[in-house]
This record gives sequence, structure tokens and C-alpha cells, in this order.
Amino acid sequence: MLTGCKDDFLEIVPETSLSSATFFTKPADFQQAINAAYVPLRSIVNDHAWLLGEMHSDNTYYARNPNFGATEQQEDIADFAIPTANGVTSNTHVRDQYRLDYQIIARTNQILASIDEVEFSDEALKNNIMGQALFLRAYAYFELVRYFGSVPLHLIPVPNRQEAALPLASEEEIYAQIIDDASRAIDLLPPKSVQEPGRATSGAARTLLANVYMVQKKWAEAETLLQEVVSSGEYALVPEYADAFSNSTGNKNNIESVFEVQFLEGSAGLSGNFLYSFLPRPMTAEELVTITGTSNPQPLSEEGNNTPTPDLIAAYEEGDEREDASIGYITLSGSSWKDGVYPYIKKYAKTHALHGNHGMNWPVYRYSEVLLFLAEALAQQGKDAEAITYLNMVRNRAGLPDYSGGDLLEAIYHERRVELAFENKRWFDLVRTGRAMDVITAYGERIKANPQDYYYPEGFGPRSHAFSNISLYYALPADEAALSPYF
Amino acid sequence: MKDYLLKKMRYLFILHLCFFSIASALAQGITVQGKVTDAKGTALPGVTVVLKGTSIAAPTDAEGTYSINVPDGNGTLVFSYIGFENKEVPINNRTTVNVQLGANTEALQEVVVVGYGSQLKEEVTGSVQTISTKDIKDIPVSQVTQKLQGKLAGVQINQATGKPGQGMSVRIRGQLSVTGGSDPLYVVDGFPITGGIGAINPNEIQDITILKDAASTSLYGSRAANGVVLITTKQGTPGQTNVSFSAYRGIQKVPERGRIDMMEAVEFAQFKKEYYEDAGQPVPEIFQDPSIYEGKNNDWYGALLRTAPIQSYDLSITSNKDKLNTALVLGIFDQEGVVINNEYKRYSARLNSDYKVSDKIRIGLNIAPSYVFDNTPRTDGDRGTGILFNALHTWPIMPIYDDNGELTYYNNFPPETGNIYAYPNWVRSAQELVNETETISLLSNAYIQYEPIEGLVLKSTFNVETDNSEFFFFNPSTATSSINTPIPTTAVSIRDNYKSLTWLNENLATYTKSFGDHNFELLGGFTNQRFRYDRTRIQADTYADDRLPTVQAGLNINRGGTYSGVEEWSLTSLLSRLTYNYKGKYLFSAAVRSDGSSRFGEENRWGVFPSASVGWIMSDEDFLQDIPQLSFAKVRASYGVTGNNNIGNYTQYALVNNTVNAAFGSTVAPGAVVTSLANNNLGWETTKQFDVGLDLGLFNDRIQFIYDFYKKTTTNLLYSVQVPQESGFSNFNDNIGEIDFWGHEFALTTRNMVGKFNWTTNANISFNRNKVVALAEGIDRVYGTFHITQVGQPFGQFYGLVKEGFYMNEEDLNNSPQVPGRSTVGSIKFKDINGDGIITYGGDNDDRTIIGSPFPDFIYGITNNFQYGKFDLSIVGSGSYDNQLLVRHLYSTANLDGVFNMVEGVKYRFRSEENPGAGMFGTTVGGGNVTGIERDWMSSHFIEDASYFTIKNITLGYTFDEITKFIKSARLYASIQQAYIFTNYEGGPNPETSGNGAGNGDGGNLSQGIDLSNYPVPRTYTLGVNVNF
Repeated sequence: MLTGCKDDFLEIVPETSLSSATFFTKPADFQQAINAAYVPLRSIVNDHAWLLGEMHSDNTYYARNPNFGATEQQEDIADFAIPTANGVTSNTHVRDQYRLDYQIIARTNQILASIDEVEFSDEALKNNIMGQALFLRAYAYFELVRYFGSVPLHLIPVPNRQEAALPLASEEEIYAQIIDDASRAIDLLPPKSVQEPGRATSGAARTLLANVYMVQKKWAEAETLLQEVVSSGEYALVPEYADAFSNSTGNKNNIESVFEVQFLEGSAGLSGNFLYSFLPRPMTAEELVTITGTSNPQPLSEEGNNTPTPDLIAAYEEGDEREDASIGYITLSGSSWKDGVYPYIKKYAKTHALHGNHGMNWPVYRYSEVLLFLAEALAQQGKDAEAITYLNMVRNRAGLPDYSGGDLLEAIYHERRVELAFENKRWFDLVRTGRAMDVITAYGERIKANPQDYYYPEGFGPRSHAFSNISLYYALPADEAALSPYF
Repeated sequence: MKDYLLKKMRYLFILHLCFFSIASALAQGITVQGKVTDAKGTALPGVTVVLKGTSIAAPTDAEGTYSINVPDGNGTLVFSYIGFENKEVPINNRTTVNVQLGANTEALQEVVVVGYGSQLKEEVTGSVQTISTKDIKDIPVSQVTQKLQGKLAGVQINQATGKPGQGMSVRIRGQLSVTGGSDPLYVVDGFPITGGIGAINPNEIQDITILKDAASTSLYGSRAANGVVLITTKQGTPGQTNVSFSAYRGIQKVPERGRIDMMEAVEFAQFKKEYYEDAGQPVPEIFQDPSIYEGKNNDWYGALLRTAPIQSYDLSITSNKDKLNTALVLGIFDQEGVVINNEYKRYSARLNSDYKVSDKIRIGLNIAPSYVFDNTPRTDGDRGTGILFNALHTWPIMPIYDDNGELTYYNNFPPETGNIYAYPNWVRSAQELVNETETISLLSNAYIQYEPIEGLVLKSTFNVETDNSEFFFFNPSTATSSINTPIPTTAVSIRDNYKSLTWLNENLATYTKSFGDHNFELLGGFTNQRFRYDRTRIQADTYADDRLPTVQAGLNINRGGTYSGVEEWSLTSLLSRLTYNYKGKYLFSAAVRSDGSSRFGEENRWGVFPSASVGWIMSDEDFLQDIPQLSFAKVRASYGVTGNNNIGNYTQYALVNNTVNAAFGSTVAPGAVVTSLANNNLGWETTKQFDVGLDLGLFNDRIQFIYDFYKKTTTNLLYSVQVPQESGFSNFNDNIGEIDFWGHEFALTTRNMVGKFNWTTNANISFNRNKVVALAEGIDRVYGTFHITQVGQPFGQFYGLVKEGFYMNEEDLNNSPQVPGRSTVGSIKFKDINGDGIITYGGDNDDRTIIGSPFPDFIYGITNNFQYGKFDLSIVGSGSYDNQLLVRHLYSTANLDGVFNMVEGVKYRFRSEENPGAGMFGTTVGGGNVTGIERDWMSSHFIEDASYFTIKNITLGYTFDEITKFIKSARLYASIQQAYIFTNYEGGPNPETSGNGAGNGDGGNLSQGIDLSNYPVPRTYTLGVNVNF
């Protein structure tokens, strides 16, 4: 009696937070859980993926501001000079990208491990949630395997501290899992016209799986999936290239969008600020407001990143409408570089209300990429005529004439570069097509030879170790290595 | 005064006599009269005279005489008086019975308060130190812990910040926890309180006992590992009524010496000029002629400081007569800070009452309300948050006042000058930001005590502590405390209110019995305590008008900053203790407490904390009687287990964060995430402590010496063990690791001179050590941003590269290990610790090593008291030897890119082979790629020795006797607090400071010893008076 009384007295559960014992017991819990599984994507595309996938290529570079230090983390990525020892690196963006992908994996693992124990009156809802979870897990592993190669393969929630780390799984194992997850997602997910806008769809899952097959050079399998997307009737190119990208408050998840990361302008904490990361500096408030149109512009200091390279600018053909839609120019009064006229990424530069708070979605897969993937898969199988049809759809929308001969694959690669510029495709494409070492080595030589062409003010140039560590994979994060017994 | 009181007492006695005469008239017996005196024949007023076995009683009057009506002449009168032995005298048909009472010998011996009771000082077998507040009463500070600095062996008390009412750190025997708290448990009149003691008026306190070893503390079980501080509040002196008033007023100033030497305007402009010249770049116009700043220096740091008044008033009335013992203390304390617009005020009252209902029953009630008002500008914190830190960084060519003499709003020079940040006007920050806290607290104890048979005391207590605090912050659009925020900024208001309530019920039985030479005391009891804290925080921003900072006037409610919270815990305990001695010289004690806590996981809910101790008063043995110089000698030893339950309230649970929201299209979708793993085995931290001690008194106690050696092992440290984030979690709360602590403590009291000239010295010195024995399995080190905690080494050591100097020329550069791609002639040169020929930073096998320790070799204190006739002089000092501090501001104030204002020493940096400077700072050429390794990499460059000896207080007083008939005595004194610091430390004004790297994502205790340029501790000059009526 006394003991029982005592135990009640000592049993105090938190009042302001649910605990896992009471969570995952009803369908609404799983809805909340799947929503949260999307959340790391915001941070990935806002803060890290453009560094690892775009500035880590010949498409963009940083705009050196010699008055500002503590920029190594970004510069090392752009300069292919990431400090690496014993297979690990201390670079924080590499680390954060890795951790964010595993956040998605852990959240989806929780859902997939416990959803079967809960009764759903609406079976379609259950399938939808499972499909989204499988899509997101496949997407996260696909990022990891392309960035790092072998990584740990977690498929169930971690039960205790001792099992927090797992051995590295081979690329084959990881790809097999991705293919399995994405295939199941295709079956479970509804098409875009039925799904709530912004969530994963069967079309997105097909595109993801096709992308996996493209990497694996399984052209026929890719072709099948991509044909299904094309014939689904769910997607089309929007007439103007510039309109393919969302505004801060509108034009989201449009007809061309296959999957995009969702942002929301305002005070709900769901906004992005990547546009600001992409602007050269120092920039005064007056200069900034011409781009952002905000009511409270504030000056930008530090150093700007993801500035289009002259290489990329030169890659646009004469008359390509995408050049003007993608790249703008701004004159910085405070710059010591040449005349201070810098190019900047314009395709995301949409006006918004308040400084540092915008709602443009980030495109992950657009229909134009589906068409270019399809063209490539067909061309790889020798079906050039069909391939050219799809290639021309993309070219014509950009105001360009039909493909006029030459190496068809090279033409498709080139088309991907300009069509998908600043969408974090370039580095993966270079690796996937076996061109990374040659292209980046030559690019590094150009920067070292002509630093002033690459935004270094007079008297400054790349650091001596720039382009000393060109590697197809990122080293695993040192902070994780310190905690894992397996690497 | 004396006469007045006597008159008053007579009046009271007459009242009593009337009462008794009525009684006697009814009884119609005989009247017995007489006089009661002490051994010297002095009359004793207030003695209770009772006819044995009846309720017939009478007191003695002021002349010691009494008169009692008894039924007949056959009875026995019992005379009792506190401090004297009871005496029974048969009447034997006499009408006059004069009595002499003998002093109670036990009462003459010093009694100390110990956990759950009190004990004769000489019979204590644990390590215990008591300070009476009468010895520290004149020290003009707000908190009692400040008064204890330098007084206690084995207790390190540091003042980390000079903010009034804040910032004291108390560490007993170097106890540390990784993430659990390290503060001792404060017990006020038997009640373990949950708030700090900062708000308690020091004048309410009678004495303070520090319990250090496990035998003394183990009755506090799972809260005892950090040591226990017992506070006893004022009581009346038996038989006396005392009225006293004390007051002091003073001024506080920050001494010039010790302030950080920053560049003045001309020096700064000269630096910038040289910077561009050395880089081969055009010099911006504003730096081309540094002499234009002659006489135009802006001392931003100095502009935030002022000379400020401090004042304190206390009235104390105590009376302990008859059945009622009562004490009333009223206090007003008002301190304006030495940083502008800083004020701390406290109004406090305490009423302690204890009433003897009958011989067997006593009841008591203590009640102590207080009100504290505090407005402190955002002074402390590193770059970005603390205005003092920010002020150091602001360019001295930036004007504080504009041409019209108005405060500027902010300063932002064009980018081509190398200015990156907008600097708000910090004077406006201090003046215009509101940062107010009002706290109303109530501390209360009630008890009833019943003594059914002789020697058995049953006591039940009910204690309540409640705090209600309202915090209001308003950042108007015209000012900000953050660097790089242009003005006007977004106005923000924060209201953060909390209330907390703790109650404790204790039920104790104590039985004391002697069988011949065997003396026993047995204690048993059970207790229940519960705590609840409710908090509501509302953050609103974007105000149209700064004059109206209401919640509803804010255009936006900041969701992230708006929330409510509850914290709750409960504790149920059983406790028992046996104290035994044989002939008062062979001493033994054993105690055990069992604690059940809501904080512990359900598989591990109860902890048991036993202890035992022995003592031997050798000087009572015959064989030592031949040494007359030895007046007292005792050896003692103890061993016990204690716990630390400061592990957070819900740490055992796997919690779900349901604010991880997503957007889909234009809708917000609520999201939820499991943020932690459950741990049903989570428990307290365990400390096992062994203590051996020696107490000596020599030459009739003219010299008293205490020595203690202790060895402690703390295991099961609560630690949020980092796990690989591939798991989806970053940490797992677990009990891990083992830390050893050991140390020696010496305390010496000598009465050097006695007689008309009295001179007493109290000195103590303590050597505290610790070593990490184990961390979690598979983990042998934990890195902080600036620290490492590594198995085999002391806790939280500074960890970084070793600065060897600078590369003086090409040859030096080529022949030395370099940072690949970054080292140049004139850049900082580090030691190649791993011998791989290059300098690397980061990872397990780089060139970092331990470069300093925040823990001193020893701490010490010395107090000298002099008395000559009516003059008294007291000098208190305390010090610390061979501990290091990380000078945090150098990361930016020695930023060679000239982004911020710099320390003056940067003038003497390396400029060329011919002009290599003073070896302190490297070349500016090469920009961040070169300067970054000196600035951004933790190295011995930032570490300074912070040994110090501070004259904490000097007080000179003069006492007047019986000035008028109302004033018994009065004393006037003058005092200087924080009189002088002897130190070589140049990193800032306060070598006692020890911030931690929590702001850098490090655990607090793993990263101590960081000088964050906090609020300086002022020097205070006061004049005071104590008057006894």
C-alpha cells in the first residue's frame, strides 16, 4: 500500500512533451511523423547541397571578399581542397549533409517500423504514408551513396546507444535497398493529380528510380520508367523557362514540377534564405533591394557563394532564353574586383516581403530533366531519333532550334548543364558520365591562370592548395568517424 | 537604554505577578520568596520556578527575585534556565529559598549544526566548517557567498561576473559533474531549497556550516555529492532582547588597472594604414593621416561604466525569553551597477518564532518574504550578445556622440575601409534596452516537536519555498545589443514569467540515551519533497511605436520564442543515523539515506547512500596529559556514498518534439519527431568519498589546526553521450565514466596577540586535484571547442596548438613545419607535436596537445583581525595559484585583418624581417588564409596564467559604548571591498572569472576557464554603522 502510493508520487511524466511510449499509436501520429521526415530537406537544399553539388563543379565559384576570413569551409569545397586524412574530413558542410540525410532515414525508419502495428481505417492513407517514407529513405540513401560511396545502412530505428553505429555497407547493398524502396514507393504512392501538392508522388518515385538506373547505366530500365512518367499525362513543360521556378508565394508545384522542396515565406519558421547565400558581397541595402524587393533590406557582408563562372556563362548558346532567365548582373559599389559587376543566379531571385525570409521552392526533379534523362537513355541504346525528339522539346522551349548534329550524348550533356544549371546536378552528372577528373582539372588550371576572371580582386588568387584534392567521393565526416567504431 | 528596558521588564513582571497573585489568592497556600543567582552571585532574571509535579510556576524578575504561592511547605521547587543546569530544591516549610544555579557545562561547549541535528563541535567525526556571520557582517556585498571568499578550506568561491546579485560559483572539494550541476545543496533551517541563496539577505543568517565529507553529507543522499551548505537563520540569545540597526553606504568603481588595453583612435588608424601599405594596397582615405584622430578617441568600454552608489539598511530585533524565542530581520539593499542603467534592489523580511507550548511540546514558524528588482543591461556574453564584449571590438574612430552631442545610433563605415559589421551605439543599448526581473519569494518553515519521554524527540516539519518571477525585456527600434544590426532594428519584447513551488514534509524521531559511559543518539525519519515550476514566455516583435511595448502592439508573435513549460520532480526518502561515543572520546557514527526520485528511470528508482565515520579524541587520553602544550587533539576518518541527482527532470524519457513542421504548397503541416532515446536505467551520479582528518589545539587553543585529506571517486556521471548521427540522434543520456578527486586542506587559526591588543589570523590552503579514469566505453576523449577531457588527464583541459613564435624569414619558414598552403614569413609558428613535418589542426592525431588547465594548483585565503581597545581592523584575502584562462576576446581583438578594434599589443606585430615586432602577433599580409591560423585555431596564443591574490576586504572600525541611555553600543567602520588584485593576468580585469564554452555547443563543466570579458567586479568604498539598542 505504502509502496504503491510512493510509486505514484515518484511517477512524473512530462506535461509539455509527448513521449515515444504514447506516440505512434494512431494514424494522425504517423501523418505528423511523415511531415517531419520532409523537414531536413529544407536545410539540405538551403544550406549545403548547392555547395556539394554545384559550387563543387565548374558551374559556380565563390566571389572572394578579401576583407573577410573564416570562409574555408565553403572555399575548400569550391577549390577541391577539402582537407582529408585517413578517409575522413572535418568539412562541416560535408558533415551536415551526411547528418541531415540520416535524419530523414531515422524518421522514415521509425514510421516504417511501427506503422504496421497500428490500425488504419483508411488503407489508402496508410499506403500513402508508407510510400512517402520509402521515397524519402530512398532519396536520402541515393544522396549518400553518390556523395560518399559506402555508408552505414540503417533500416530500423536505433534501439540503444550500443547499436547507434553500423558498419559501412557496400555500394551494391545500398543501391539494392534504394531500388527496393523506390520500387515499393512507386506502387504505394498516388499520382500527382491526386496527391497533396508538394508530397512525393508515384511520378517522383519513378523519376528517382530512373535516376538511380541512369547512374547504374541500366538504360532500358530507366527508359521504361521515364516513358511511364511521360505517358502519365501528369506533367508538361511550362511555356517559358523562367516560369518553371516557383515564386516566393506562388507558382509552386506547377505542371513541370516532379518534386520540389517546399518553403513557406513568413514567420512559421519554414522559409528559406538561399538566395542571399548566392549573392556577391559586400552589398549595400540599396543594391540588395533591387533584387529582393523587401521592405527592410539590410547590407550583406562576409563572402558570396555560388556565383556563376565565366565557363558556364559561355556555355549558353546564342539566343538561349535560359541565359537571361538564369543569370543576372549586379554592380557592387563596395567591391574591389574589377568594375564590381558580378553575375548572380537569377532563376531563384524572386521578390519577397522581408529580408532573409523567402518561400521559393527548390526544384529537385523537373519534367525537363525527365525528358533529358529519357533522351540520354535512348541515345545510350542507339535510339537516336527518339532521343532527339525529347532533346528538342527542351531546346525549343528555350527558344533554340532543333539539335543540329554532332555527338548526341555530348549535346545532351551540354543541354543538361544549361537547362539544369544551379539545380545541384552538375557534379553528379560529371561523375556519372566519367568526366569529372578531366573537366575539373582543366577548370582548376583556368582559375589558377586567370584568378581575376574568377572574381579574385587584383592582388589575390586561389590558395596554394586549391585543386589539390580532386576526388569522385567526399570523405566521410570526421565528427562521425570519431564516434563510430567502423570508420 | 538599559534602564528603559529594565523599566519595561519590570512592567511585564508586574503583569505576570498580578496573574500569579490572582492564582495564589485562589489557592490560598503559603508564599515562598527568594533570589536566584549564578555562581558569581549575579542575579538571574527570567528563571522559571515551578512547583514540581504541578503547573504552579513563577519567573524571577530583573533583580533575580521570585515569589511563588504553593499549597503547602512540603513540595519541591524546580529552577530552570537556559544555559544552566536545572536545580531541584525541597521547600522544607521555608518561606525564603535562595538558589545558586550552576552553568550547564555542555552549553559552554561549542555546538555546531550538522545535517538533521546539532553536535558538540569536538565530537564531530566528519569534515565540517562553520562560519558565524558576525565575523563577516561588514563586507558590503549583496550575497552571502561573496562574504565567504577566502574563509573556507577546500571551498573554491569565484565571482565570475560583477553583476549585482549574480555570478557566484561555489565548488566544494573541486567536485565536478560533466553535465549535472556542481553547486552544493543549500539547506536553510533544515530545508533543502531549490533556488539559490543569492536572494537571501545575508543579515538574516546566523551561521553557515559547510559539510564536506560523505559522513557529514550522506543524510542528504542523492543531492549531497557536491557538498552541503547549512544555513541557520537568526535566533534570539537566551534571556536577552536585542535590537540592532546596521547600515552602510558606499560607492563602487571599476579600477583603471586591469582594464584591457585597446588601441586608441590614432593607433587604430595607424594600424589600418600600415595594413594596407604592407599588403601593397591603396590606403583608404580615412586612414591616410592617423593624426586627424588626435583627441578624438572613443573609449566605448569606458563609456559604459560609471561610479555607482551602494547602500544597505537592516533592522534586527531578537528576543528569547520565557517560552517565546523570536527574531525579526528587516532589510533593504540597493546597489546600482557600475555599468550604466544597472540596478539591483532587495527588500526582505524574516520572522522566526519558536514557542514552547509545554515542557513536551514546541512549535515554530519561520517566514521570510523577499522582493528583488533587477535591471541589468545585456553586459555579458561573447561576441554578438554581450555589450561589454562588443564595446571592446568597436572601432575607436567611430563616434559615440554626433556633432550635436547626441548619442549616435550606429556606425558603419564603407566596405572599402575593411569594415564588415555595423556597430550599434552600446551606450544606447545599455540605456534603452529594458532587461528587468522582479522576483517575489517566500521561504517558510513550520514545525511541531513533541518529547513524549525523556530523550525521545519527535519532530514534524512542513516547509514551503515559492518564487514568482516576472522578466520583461524590450529592445526598442533605436538600440540593440548585437553587433552587425543596423538601426532602426526590429523592436522585440519578451515577457518570461515563472512561478515555482517546493514543499517538503519531514518526520523525524531522535532518541538520545546514555548507559554509563556509552552515549547513543539514534535518528530515524521519512521525508517527501515535491517541486513544480511553471513558465510562460511570450515574444513579440515589429512594433510601430517604441513607447508601447505591449504584446498586442507587436505586429508579429515570434512562435519560436513563445512557449510554456513545466518542470516537476518529487523525492521520497528514508533516513537514519546512529551516533555513539564511549566516554566522549571514542566516537562513531553511521548513517544511511534512501532516495526515491521521479528523475530516475523506472528500473532504477531508488538509491541508497550509506556512510560511517570514527573519531578519537586523543587529548583526553591519560598518556597525552603530560604534554601541556597540547590542549586538544582528535583524529577522524570517514567513508560514504553520496549522489548527484541534477540530471534534469525528464531525461529518462524518449521525448517527441511536435514542432518540427513542414510546408506543403502554402499550408503548414504539423510534424513530430522522436528526439531522444529512452533510458529506463538512468540514475544519479555516485560519489564515494574517503576522508581522514586531524584537529589540533595547541597552547590552550591559541593555535588551532585542522588538516583533511580526501579521496573521492565519482562514477555513473550523467552524460549526454554523443552517438553517431547516422542513428538519427545526436546524444544518448547515460550514466558513464569515472573521475577521481583528491586533495589536502589545511586550516590554521592563531591568536597571535591577546590582551588590549588582539591579533588573530585565520589561514587556509587547499590542494584539489582530479583525474578522468574512464569515459563511456569506446570513448577515451571528448573534444570541446577549446578543451579536451581525456582519460588519464584532469577534466576539461585547454587543448590546442603550441605557439612557438613566428616564421622570422624564408629560411626559418623553409626549415620548419608549416601549415600547408597557409604559412608565410611572419605568420604564427606552431610546434609539430605529432612529428609528421606539417602542422595540422583537427582530428585525433593532429598537432594539438594540452596547453593549460582551468584548475589551480592550490587556492588559499587569509584573514587577519586586529583589535586595539575600541579599534578593530580586518583584512581578508583570497587567492588562486597556477590556473589558466582562455582570453576569449583575443579571437577577435587580435584579428589581424583589422575587422575589429584590437588590443594595443597588435601594434607590435610582425611586419617584416627587419621589423619583426615583439613576438606577440604575426603578419597581416595574406588575409584570412594566413591570419586565420593565428586567429581561428585554438593555441597557447590565447592562454594566460590567471594566478591571483586579491585583498577582498579591509575594514577599520571603532566602537562606542553607551552613547546615550538608548544606545548600548555603536560601531562606525569604513571598508574597501575588492581592494587590490595582485596578478600578472592581462586578459581582463577579473582573474576570478570562469565562463564556460556553453555558447560554443560545449558542455558547461567540460569547458571552464574562459574569460568572456564579463561585467567587471568593482572596488567598493563604504562607510557603515552598527548600533545596538
